Parts: sequence; structure tokens; C-alpha cells
Amino acid sequence: MIAYKFLRPDRTSLFTDFAWPAPGTWVEASIEPCRSGIHACRVSDLPYWAGHQLYEVELDGELVEQSTKVVASRARLVRRLEAWEDLHDVYTRMCADRGHELARSAAPPLHDWEAVIEPSIPEGPALLGFVAARIAEAIAGPPAYRTERARQTDWLAERLGL
Amino acid sequence: MTESDQHITCQEVVELVTDYLERALDADEASLFEEHLNFCDGCITYVEQMRVTVEAVGQIGETDVPADTREKLLTAFRDWQHA
Repeated sequence: MIAYKFLRPDRTSLFTDFAWPAPGTWVEASIEPCRSGIHACRVSDLPYWAGHQLYEVELDGELVEQSTKVVASRARLVRRLEAWEDLHDVYTRMCADRGHELARSAAPPLHDWEAVIEPSIPEGPALLGFVAARIAEAIAGPPAYRTERARQTDWLAERLGL
Repeated sequence: MTESDQHITCQEVVELVTDYLERALDADEASLFEEHLNFCDGCITYVEQMRVTVEAVGQIGETDVPADTREKLLTAFRDWQHA
């Protein structure tokens, strides 16, 4: 299965600090979601985990699929998707603009939410994606949160060619 | 347990941090917890501070605590339980 993984620029994982070997080398781990195993994103999971650098990964062995991630017992990096590094700031801006658009469309407008958008931009794409989805949720309830996340997925998939 | 089944707040991170560090959250809860950490630097710092504290406290054995300190703590806990 082909999936995706966000890593720090030094190729370490955010939650485990695991240093990934260069693309091509297999890594193995026993599976226990959120505790052990190799955690990766399907395309639909990308907005939830947006980070510094994005890699395509090949998963193998035992697989466990969860709502916003997939966990495997075996994986290897395939290639770095350098296009993400060009899109990082563009995607962040898109989410910020979408947040403004949603907040202003509400009746009455969500001024409190709008006020947090611009100061949040330096924190990057994961936060801005979350803020836009939360504004959608504030307007139209929990289903709108997932709908907004799906919209972000479509944006990323189209521009990354996934 | 959480305000929403789609995300958690910083307040909920504070409430859940011990369970997270002790791996007592179920997989869905832990996933929401880590989704939050992925974009919240403040909570990352908080969780890391708690992790260091828990590890440090976990290395203190009963015999490392001076007798008078141990007695004061036991008295305090007894009083707290009766309060």
C-alpha cells in the first residue's frame, strides 16, 4: 500500500523522534495503534498531520486502518514529495483565506474566530487547516468539520498529483 | 469524554495528559490527542514537561525520601482525604 508520512527536515518522526533511514530501507515494528507500529497517512489524512516534509511511503505486512491514519508493521520511504515544500505556505494561506471567508459568511459574523486566523499563520498548515475546519463546525455543526477537512484533502491531492 | 469526537481542546489535553503518557487512552483518543499536538506548540511543551516530570518522579524510590519529609507527606495526605 502506498501512503504518506510527514517528517521533520532531519527525517525524524514528530511523536517518536525515530530517525528514518534513507528511502529504500525497510523498517519494521510491532503494531499497536498510537503506541507502536509505523503510522502513516492516506491521502484523506494529510490535512490532519501536515508538517515539514512529506514522503511517499510503501507499507507492508500487517495493516490497521483508523479514522485519520493507517498503521503498518513494515514500511520504507519511497521518495520525498518536494512539491509539498513549495505548497506549504500556499496551503496555509488558502486555509487562512477560507477561514476568513467562512467566518464572514456566518450570521452574525464570527469575529472572535476571525481574529485568531492571521496571528496563527506562523504556526503553519496544520493549525490553519484546523482553524478553518473549526470555523466551519461553529457555523454548521460537526459534519461541517469533516466536510471542510475533505475540501482540504481535495486541494492537496490535486496540487500534489495524488 | 471529549467536547467533540472530531478534535480535542487544549483544556482536554491538560485533562488527558496523564492517561496519554501512561498509554491509557484508547487508539481513537490517542489519535485525537496527537492530532492536537501536531499543531499546538504550547501543548507539545506542556506534554514534554509532564513527561520529564513523570520520568523524574518515577525514579524516586521510597527510601530516597527523608523520614521527616515522608511523615509530613503522609500527614498531609491523611488530612486531605479527611477534608
